[in-house]
Amino acid sequence: MSRKDSKQTALISRRSWCRAAGAVAGGLAISPTIPSLGVNSQEPGATATLPTFTGPSANSYWSAVGPIVSEPQKAPLILLTDRPVQLETPRNYFATAFTPNEAFYVRWHLDRIPNAVDLRTWRLHVEGNVASPQAFSFGDLLRKFKAETVAAVNQCSGNSRSRLQPRVPGGQWGNGAMGNARWTGVKLRDILSAAGMKSGSVQVQLQGLEQGEGPEGLGSKYFLKSLDLENSVMDECIVAYAMNGEPLPLLNGFPVRLIVPGYFATYWMKCLTWIRVLDKPDENFWMKTGYRVPDTPRGTTRPEAMKAGGVKTVPIGRMPVRSFLVTPDGSAKIPAGMSVNLRGIAFSGYGRVTKVEISDDGLKTWKIAQLGEDFGAYSFRTWEFAWAPRTPGKYSVAVRATDEKGNVQPDETVWNPGGYLWNRIERQEFVAGNAE
Amino acid sequence: MKIHKLRITAGIAVAALLIGAALAEQRLGSYTTQNTGKIVQAKPAALAEDSEYEMASLPSFDAELANGAGRAETQIYCGTCHTPRYITMQPPLPAATWEAEIQKMVKAFGAQIPQADAQKIAQYLHEHYTPETRQR
Ligand code: HEC
Repeated sequence: MSRKDSKQTALISRRSWCRAAGAVAGGLAISPTIPSLGVNSQEPGATATLPTFTGPSANSYWSAVGPIVSEPQKAPLILLTDRPVQLETPRNYFATAFTPNEAFYVRWHLDRIPNAVDLRTWRLHVEGNVASPQAFSFGDLLRKFKAETVAAVNQCSGNSRSRLQPRVPGGQWGNGAMGNARWTGVKLRDILSAAGMKSGSVQVQLQGLEQGEGPEGLGSKYFLKSLDLENSVMDECIVAYAMNGEPLPLLNGFPVRLIVPGYFATYWMKCLTWIRVLDKPDENFWMKTGYRVPDTPRGTTRPEAMKAGGVKTVPIGRMPVRSFLVTPDGSAKIPAGMSVNLRGIAFSGYGRVTKVEISDDGLKTWKIAQLGEDFGAYSFRTWEFAWAPRTPGKYSVAVRATDEKGNVQPDETVWNPGGYLWNRIERQEFVAGNAE
Repeated sequence: MKIHKLRITAGIAVAALLIGAALAEQRLGSYTTQNTGKIVQAKPAALAEDSEYEMASLPSFDAELANGAGRAETQIYCGTCHTPRYITMQPPLPAATWEAEIQKMVKAFGAQIPQADAQKIAQYLHEHYTPETRQR
């Protein structure tokens, strides 16, 4: 409908309203059939839907652009792919420090994932270079070990991949491939001790129940990840059987999932079933080729450098510091002069977030936001800030976080062929309207 | 619901008359017709007290590949390990990037695609999924 048409509709509706109101004044109740109150206009106010794809420029929306779908044990989430399943958490779920299990994002690599797990036969196997291989039942994990709980952010290595320029192939995530939960389970070290690692052990390989259609020996058949035994994060890893005090949804890794605090989710093996102690470094596709980042500051490089060759890569590791403005989301105008409560979250894989700052003048000056409760070094930390647009107009509000190691979120972009490690300062546009 | 609320008594309506013009400016009750049904509510599963922990079958959705020569080959050969949504989810990618993706599927992941079909697929992706050609 053209602008002129919609103006006309508004005009007509106004006139018929007056007529209706006149009837009421005459002592009649308004009948439900008065047409003016159900104006059948397409514009303005009609909901336009997002495009089916973004690019070649960067995705300008907070989330991925896929449709919303309903999946087992899940709230409606944003669909990236259905087989294997990849679902993004909508923005509104990040207004709190903990992400509900039913809204927690989902990311599988291979298409044969379990629809059912029978705990009568399921065992967590500890094998490889160990003195006495073990097979623990779910009940064993509950009863035989000390329970530990950690609040930790799980973020996909490719979170925000759709921001990169030029765009790279892979899951075209917006910002919602992340979540924070309280994970309860058994220390990986306790499980390894029970089996007794033999000398010469270098890595521990993780395998879950997922399988693919590809041939034996390739990354399309099994998804395998390994951690160096000398990595200090080994002491913090938990084999979790509870997520926010509940069993894990199957799509998030029931019966148990490995928690690697501070590290990207690629190591957080879902439906963890085999823990394999290796005496030489893992050379499988998902370690040797996949999930590697340039060995450069921030893991960034350029396509030309990649083409020229010689860019050394290393397995992806800790998550760089990030912060997000969650609400308000900019979808509604703010009356000028009214103070609104900006709220969001921040986190870093390198340690506690110590500062979140806001700028509404194009990053020239920064004001300090108030931090919410501290749930531990690897948790989301909520923040809030009272902000008022003084006059009608367009505003861009930027947010940046600093962690305890002194890492400050930069405004420079990141580019690498995998589309990993994006942590540029986020901005939210707001429109302030006239309050008079 | 909105309409029901508007069944107001004449007394209140007289007051409403005074602000009637202002209310009209607010475009009361604007509706548009849209399709429902993309998101359905799941019925709670019937659970047994045994050791099996299950979820319902996962839904799958049509990938809506563009029409054109090579579509059938793409659907078959690029739909065995994952749905062709892995293609439609991507941003428009340069032809060379698509070539590299096909090579990656064959070499790293063991996709078995006869040479002639691989060429057809490459051609199809160039014709519908590059920055110059992508429509939807
Ligand atoms: C033998 C199995 C197999 C076949 C056949 C296959 N793929 Fe893949 N493909 C994979 C795997 C495994 C991944 C990685 C999945 C993940 O990480 O989510 C993948 C990922 C992708 C991606 C995402 C980007 C990336 O590189 O990870 C694209 C695009 C893609 N495939 C396109 C294709 C196309 C086009 C075809 C047909 C020519 C095809 N695939 C056939 C196994 C396969």
